[in-house]
Amino acid sequence: MHQDRKLVFCDGSRIMIEALAGAGASVYIGYPITPANWLYAYASQRFPTFLAAPDEISALQWAAGFSSTGQLPVTATSFPGFALMLESLNMAFMMELPLVIILAQRLGPSTGSATTGAQGDLLLLRGAISGGHPLPVLCPADFIDCWHLAARAAVTARELRTPVVLLTSKEMIMTSRSFDLSLLPPIVQGQLPSFENNGSYLPYRAGESRVPPFLPVGNTRHQVRLNASTHDHSGLIRKDSPESLANTMRLREKIEQRVAEFTFYHYDAEGEADTLVVTYGISSDAAREAVSNLRARGEKVSLLILKTLIPIPPPVFQIFEQYAQLLFVEENLNGQLKELCFGQRSPSALRSLNKIGKMITPEEIVEEVMLCKQVF
Amino acid sequence: MQTSILNDKKAPYCPGCGHTVITHTIDKALAALEINPLDVVAVSDIGCCGLVDGLLNCHTVHGLHGRSVALATGIAYGLNHPGKKVLVIQGDGGATIGLQHLMEAARQNLDLTLIVQNNLLYGMTGGQISGLSPMQFKGERMPEVQDVPGFDICELAHRAGASLAARTFVGDSNFNELFRRAFQTEGFSLLEIVEPCPSHGIKKVLDLHRTADYPAVELRNERPPHRTAPRETTSLLDSLPLIRARFSSNLRQRLEIVIAGSAGEGVQSCGDLLAYAGATSGLYTTKKGAYPVTVGSGFSIAEVILSRDRICYTGIAAPGVMIIVSQDGYDAVKSRLGKDTYLLMDASLAPPPGHCVISGDFRKIGGKKGAALAAVAFWIGQTDLISIKALEAAAGMHRHGDKLVANIESASRISKREIMLEG
Ligand code: SF4
Repeated sequence: MHQDRKLVFCDGSRIMIEALAGAGASVYIGYPITPANWLYAYASQRFPTFLAAPDEISALQWAAGFSSTGQLPVTATSFPGFALMLESLNMAFMMELPLVIILAQRLGPSTGSATTGAQGDLLLLRGAISGGHPLPVLCPADFIDCWHLAARAAVTARELRTPVVLLTSKEMIMTSRSFDLSLLPPIVQGQLPSFENNGSYLPYRAGESRVPPFLPVGNTRHQVRLNASTHDHSGLIRKDSPESLANTMRLREKIEQRVAEFTFYHYDAEGEADTLVVTYGISSDAAREAVSNLRARGEKVSLLILKTLIPIPPPVFQIFEQYAQLLFVEENLNGQLKELCFGQRSPSALRSLNKIGKMITPEEIVEEVMLCKQVF
Repeated sequence: MQTSILNDKKAPYCPGCGHTVITHTIDKALAALEINPLDVVAVSDIGCCGLVDGLLNCHTVHGLHGRSVALATGIAYGLNHPGKKVLVIQGDGGATIGLQHLMEAARQNLDLTLIVQNNLLYGMTGGQISGLSPMQFKGERMPEVQDVPGFDICELAHRAGASLAARTFVGDSNFNELFRRAFQTEGFSLLEIVEPCPSHGIKKVLDLHRTADYPAVELRNERPPHRTAPRETTSLLDSLPLIRARFSSNLRQRLEIVIAGSAGEGVQSCGDLLAYAGATSGLYTTKKGAYPVTVGSGFSIAEVILSRDRICYTGIAAPGVMIIVSQDGYDAVKSRLGKDTYLLMDASLAPPPGHCVISGDFRKIGGKKGAALAAVAFWIGQTDLISIKALEAAAGMHRHGDKLVANIESASRISKREIMLEG
């Protein structure tokens, strides 16, 4: 251990909230829900503006309102609250308003078990935007990610003018650890694309960057129009003009074309390995431990921890192609990441380790990898 | 300065629609008050009234059905500027979808003006009755008849705390003046305008009062608007105590400890103290809690891992040590008892058959809230894995430090009573 370390005992919620505040998010609006309550409590201490909304629809509407004035709002919730936010999330996506939603997964369906962790909401996020547009989703796998990806979520939200989801789960944000703060990298603050020109301003006219420059409502230089309905460059409703349809298509393009700016994964490749363990979020620790145990026994196995989940970054598919067998490890029933990558009828070279109600253990992963190897 | 909020576009409404006259009245009132259109943010709802955006020279935000007041709430807070005018335009449909947002804005007395254009029906979808339709009202082409009295949103907003809640009818003598008064009001002002919808409902202004039997009102509360000013805050990480490894530990292998008791009895903070003591002994530590959603009843379990090596996976299947101080706790964890688990239980509990148990009067020594800590202190006293001094130092940082340290001292001095049960 090096000399300048700053050892503390803390939890992932604290790190995430600090990172978001450090990245320039100025307002937190929330309605408490388990297991996101620690986020709410820390935010009430840390954010320059903190507002308690009466429900999650209000929370996201207020957040969108703040965002239209140039501030970066944050909220945190779990599935029941997220479900209420869905229409407003679509509104913010369509209006191109930056905001960050921390979605702390718990066991569903419905209210499910509030105090049981889970990884059951990924496909919900994939389908969250009507029309199938990708909503950027980042998912921390450890405390350093809680810091780094939270800050990157803020940067992505601003620079791409979009809502971003930080997907997590109870085990990440409600577990405390002895942790060395000196491992945390410095935070960079992203900028909203600004309008510097003196000419006319059209709120939805985007150049090469695919992201239109931002001006806040209430500014006295140019009229700003924001619109949740299909709209033209001026921000007025236009049902099906080529310009307005192109604008709707641009919302997808800006995310997909710029995914390299928010591509994060951890790839631990072992030479000659034919099996790749693929996981994300709260199953990552067990996978890391399983892979190191397998290697200690002389087994060759590689590990890929995905941190950008939507859209799946293209290099991830290139990694997949290098392996004869992929094992997806996820704390859900249906292998949501696997389905996101390969659809419902996945080839036989894909295996899944799934479970609900309890964390997947390193031993279960070891066993499954050995089965993969036998089959192969 | 450009004084009209309206551009020269033709209103898109049906001939004779109340929305046209309301739009012009808004313009006249703002112009009379010499408000710069770019100091105005108009937030429009869904429905015919939401078509207003295209007519306006001010900032326009066109959101969701019923949510415009909530969206405007965020805008008003975000602007936080008395010189800016936030204006919401919504119909009777939007007002009932988002009734809670309306009540919340009134309760907070947010600085914005809401104009509810109440034409007694849903115009855009064909003239269905709404929650604001008067008794016996029906749309021209719809079979349904209102048989429940409509909401009195002015009364509701007034009771919730709005600075101004007023109802007027298109064509009434105070009509123009009321808009001006609303825009001059500091805080939340609601104007409900009863108006015709010639395509589906009332065709003539003269028929409005006869059909809509609710009164014109102007209700006021003398309250300042609620505002939020950003505050200075400090880092959540800088405030954490830095841990120095000043105690030693003889721990070799990863050790998993489960502390089980009842909610509200200090189990979680006991787990935190143990983990913290482990960290000051040069170990990697983790701690997490498990409990039902109720904080004050049922079980409470703290899971602590101590290790010489970095801890990755934090799950515990069969723990190395289990410390159980109440029946709730015992019931919640008994299935996880491994055959080699070192089991420490309060003497009041019946031990599991066939397992070696160390028991002590921890609930008596530490009291209800200190039983878990007493048991942990006793356990530490029996091992050389970490020093009792480390636990005392961790407890000393707590706001009830003195009491906790005294508890640790007395518990670590008690002698053990070992019960070996037949297997
Ligand atoms: S349908 Fe009714 S409310 Fe809509 S524009 Fe026509 S008259 Fe106005």
